[in-house]
Amino acid sequence: MARSLEVLLLDDEPIVGRRLKPALDKIGCQVEVFENPKEAVARIDQKEFDIVVTDIRMEEMDGIAVLEHVQKKWPRTKVILITGYAKMDLAREAMGKGVFDFIAKPFRPDDLRRIIASAAEALGMPIDAASPNDETVAE
Amino acid sequence: MSLLDKLKKIGHRETGIRDFCIQTIRFKKFLENARALLDLFADGREKVLGEYIFDRHYVVTLIDSVVDRLGRMVYDASVLVPESGEELYAAYDRHKLAARNLIGSTPSAADDAVDPEYRLLSDVLKWFQGTENTGNISVMEFMRQTFFHVIQGLESNDAMTRNQALFDKNGLHASDMGIYVIDLWKDALSPPSENRSIRDFNSIPLRHLFMDSGNGDLEKAGPKANQHTAAWVAAVSEYQLSLTTLKPNFRFRLETLASGYEPSDFIFIFAGPNAPLDKIIPDGFHVERTNYGQFAWSLSITAKTIEDTLMIIGRNLFDESVRRMQ
Repeated sequence: MARSLEVLLLDDEPIVGRRLKPALDKIGCQVEVFENPKEAVARIDQKEFDIVVTDIRMEEMDGIAVLEHVQKKWPRTKVILITGYAKMDLAREAMGKGVFDFIAKPFRPDDLRRIIASAAEALGMPIDAASPNDETVAE
Repeated sequence: MSLLDKLKKIGHRETGIRDFCIQTIRFKKFLENARALLDLFADGREKVLGEYIFDRHYVVTLIDSVVDRLGRMVYDASVLVPESGEELYAAYDRHKLAARNLIGSTPSAADDAVDPEYRLLSDVLKWFQGTENTGNISVMEFMRQTFFHVIQGLESNDAMTRNQALFDKNGLHASDMGIYVIDLWKDALSPPSENRSIRDFNSIPLRHLFMDSGNGDLEKAGPKANQHTAAWVAAVSEYQLSLTTLKPNFRFRLETLASGYEPSDFIFIFAGPNAPLDKIIPDGFHVERTNYGQFAWSLSITAKTIEDTLMIIGRNLFDESVRRMQ
């Protein structure tokens, strides 16, 4: 049996973790949620995640620093950045630094699920981005 | 050549021309800002209903954008109707205060099941649209009142006389204006109790359009225009479409704001059953015929095309109607 996709989700806005974790659980991801960047980085030091999803603008440490840390520690890990719509310049900078993709707030959970599926495919661990409970996809 | 271009050729030295240019530009801006506010409301509604992930920053930006656009709309209105400026700015200040209170509010712990960002956005939408429990008027109601001030001010007898004299003196036609605000009937569900006089049309451009059809004679144009309203054609963008159920003997309410400023990718045209719609609309329209009228629509077309089409269709139909009556 294929192992689950390991995802670390970091955003200092609690709404993001609260709303995204269940959405990612539904497609079979093992998700760990963090609101504090330093705690997230400490966890990254301990464990290799398949995918790290991080907000770009946080008070203690920004998403670019998290990206650089992940790339140094676990080059295979795919990093996806969440950005506010006013921070597209930062997102572009991140693309130059090797981020897998970015997504701008506001967004729907489905939007992120599609990006995660694409990252999973790039890792050779394809998943179905459609939730099994999603009736619209079941048609 | 647009009306403004023609006026610029005539020259800016004449006070009347300068005032008219300013009024026209500000009215276009006024409509543009009103439209932007409606788009902001729609965006907020979509986000609160659509299971979106957003943060407080999104909501605060939305509030700031509303305050900004509302301020610009009030500025436009105060240029158009200076006598209402003080009242409008006082009301605007109250809305700015309400906005600051919303941004500074601390989410209560009363309903932990709802994310504070969603709760804040929900409060913002109440501020936009009002609720039964709030004593203060909503942003939407304030917009309506502001619009009413502007229309009333622009349609004062003085303004009408001043503009008409300006047009006559310089050989201009109102149909060159490129702004059409059409309100044929107030209530879509109930037919008008009596035909409205041309004087009742609360739109200077529409009145001028009718006057054009009657060779500039307002009194003579009135009855002809009244008889023609049931077959009147209007084009509306997707967002301003206001057309309800088709029923026998039902009269349509068609309402459009085509400022020529905002691009639109969808328009809709209604005409009476006997109008030669095929001959007078541009290529690319799909036409449907029913017992009660004809409908035509087109994708990927700009608001400027709406205005041009409206002008051409109106003139063709009026000419035909006038010929039939003679």
